[in-house]
Amino acid sequence: MGNEAWTRERLDRLAAEFRYVVTDAICRSGVGHIGGVMSLVEIVITLYFRILNVRPEEPDWPDRDRLILSKGHAGPIVYTALAYKGFFPKSWLCTINRNGTRLPSHMDQTLTPGVEMTAGSLGQGLSCACGMALAAKRDGKGHRVYCIIGDGESNEGQIWEAALFAAHQRLDNLIAICDYNKMQIDGRTAEVLELEPLADKWRAFGWETFEMDGHDWDDIHTTLLRAREVKGRPAMIIAHTVKGKGNRETEGLVDCHNVKIPDEATYRRLMEGLECRFELPY
Amino acid sequence: MTPPAAPNFADLEMRLVYAHTLSELIARNPDVYCLEADLGKADASIPIVSTRHPANFINCGVQEANMIGVAAGLAREGKIPFCSSFTAFATRRCYDQITISVAYANNNVKIVGTSPGITQGPNGGTHMCFQDLAIMRAMPNMHVYSPADAHELRAVLFHMASTRQPTYLQLIRLKVPPLFPAEVTFDPQRARRLHEGDDVTLVATGYMTRFALDTARGLAAEGIGVDVLHYPSVKPFDQESLLASARRTGAVVTVENQSILGGLGGAVCEVLSEHHPVRVRRLGVPDRFGEVADQDYLFEKHGFGPRHIAQACRELARRRP
Repeated sequence: MGNEAWTRERLDRLAAEFRYVVTDAICRSGVGHIGGVMSLVEIVITLYFRILNVRPEEPDWPDRDRLILSKGHAGPIVYTALAYKGFFPKSWLCTINRNGTRLPSHMDQTLTPGVEMTAGSLGQGLSCACGMALAAKRDGKGHRVYCIIGDGESNEGQIWEAALFAAHQRLDNLIAICDYNKMQIDGRTAEVLELEPLADKWRAFGWETFEMDGHDWDDIHTTLLRAREVKGRPAMIIAHTVKGKGNRETEGLVDCHNVKIPDEATYRRLMEGLECRFELPY
Repeated sequence: MTPPAAPNFADLEMRLVYAHTLSELIARNPDVYCLEADLGKADASIPIVSTRHPANFINCGVQEANMIGVAAGLAREGKIPFCSSFTAFATRRCYDQITISVAYANNNVKIVGTSPGITQGPNGGTHMCFQDLAIMRAMPNMHVYSPADAHELRAVLFHMASTRQPTYLQLIRLKVPPLFPAEVTFDPQRARRLHEGDDVTLVATGYMTRFALDTARGLAAEGIGVDVLHYPSVKPFDQESLLASARRTGAVVTVENQSILGGLGGAVCEVLSEHHPVRVRRLGVPDRFGEVADQDYLFEKHGFGPRHIAQACRELARRRP
């Protein structure tokens, strides 16, 4: 699929379908991290369909680009992208978070084709991404390692350990993206634990730092392309996003981190909050 | 230029054995890596590994949690990272990172905890970790090894580098007296029977094994037959050797350079209580923290030195029905 085929209309349509399918899949399990999933839809689509060099038919192809979702609770949006790319049948998506599933709430490298690293205990994925980027450097490989972290996750000290390490090791094959939706479980990041000035912090740690609108297709694509060109230091992209984006029932609400769907009425309300309907692939 | 002669490992401090052996393993397999968290000089990997294999040596600085994550990432890419720090910082400080990024994810990371238990001496209670065997043993997917001398350490390191298995190794940094020949082998499924006797079983691991063996030899002169089992692997745990010995002797003493809660003594009690209940005495550190002190002081204070081992063996042997 070449980039020229990706018109804004086609991307919008795919994002709407992803939101519809992932919301339905999460609802079927009765509970899920809808807020942090919805804020990543455009970023994850851009990565998997326009940036990452991967082979769905050969998930362990040595020269593939790697994506680590350190905020592992947003797993369902990566699962949706992996299914639509063909890493596994789309029919798996309705098993998210259900007994015996290969698509658990948080990412598990031992269960899911295409998942590079287990993550979910916050703060750990960026360190693992550093190790993978370092291995590529030592082996003289040209692929890149992408890592998505959360803003709440950035409260963790280990994120800043990894920030020091990646800059010291000059990991210019590492591109991190912070899903800055400005909310965490207990409230707004500004109220729970202030991160600002966030971009300045990453710059001070020695990272080439970009900011982008995490829901604007052109901004996401061009920023990711620019981050790939950075030499001699790791890149951080601070993605300004909206938690629960694209659903009238969740958009911008602090309480959409982990949503319970106890009954049919709640399910219907959440599905009706989405802009379009689609045929479910399962 | 002739290569330097192979060191006589039995004459070296264990940290030098570690560093030389790791260097040797990297020379054989360039996927082996040495990671440090600013204790490379203490472990002797600086300069032994760092100068011979600079590309395989990564000093992470004082950040154990990140070191474990970096190691997990390296392992995911097929590398075999050995991550070292003092036992306290190599295990309990980054326990969740090891649990999730290594054990749960089943990434092939080797964690090396140095200066176990009372061998941490002069650094005292903040550094003196008595629970690493217990907490690492409680983690699914994790193997836990505690070799007793230089040659066994080498056999364990060669095994670790050649198996795809998350592993924790307790590394004594001091020089310790030789127990085993250079050709000793290591099988994590097998305990070693170091002394035969029918009156009491004495189970030991790591640093305490030589004291157990000395005690058994001394008690033989008193007419007490001590069956000594050394466990270089605390997990997996060789149940059969323990049960066979306990069936003969009817009493078991355990001794470890650790808390008596949950480590080797705990493993022994779990097996015996389910399969063949006999009298047991666990020697080690009771439910207490460490302190700045030397070995004799700590042996006396906590009751697990040679004379306490001998006394426990006498008492349990004498009480035989």
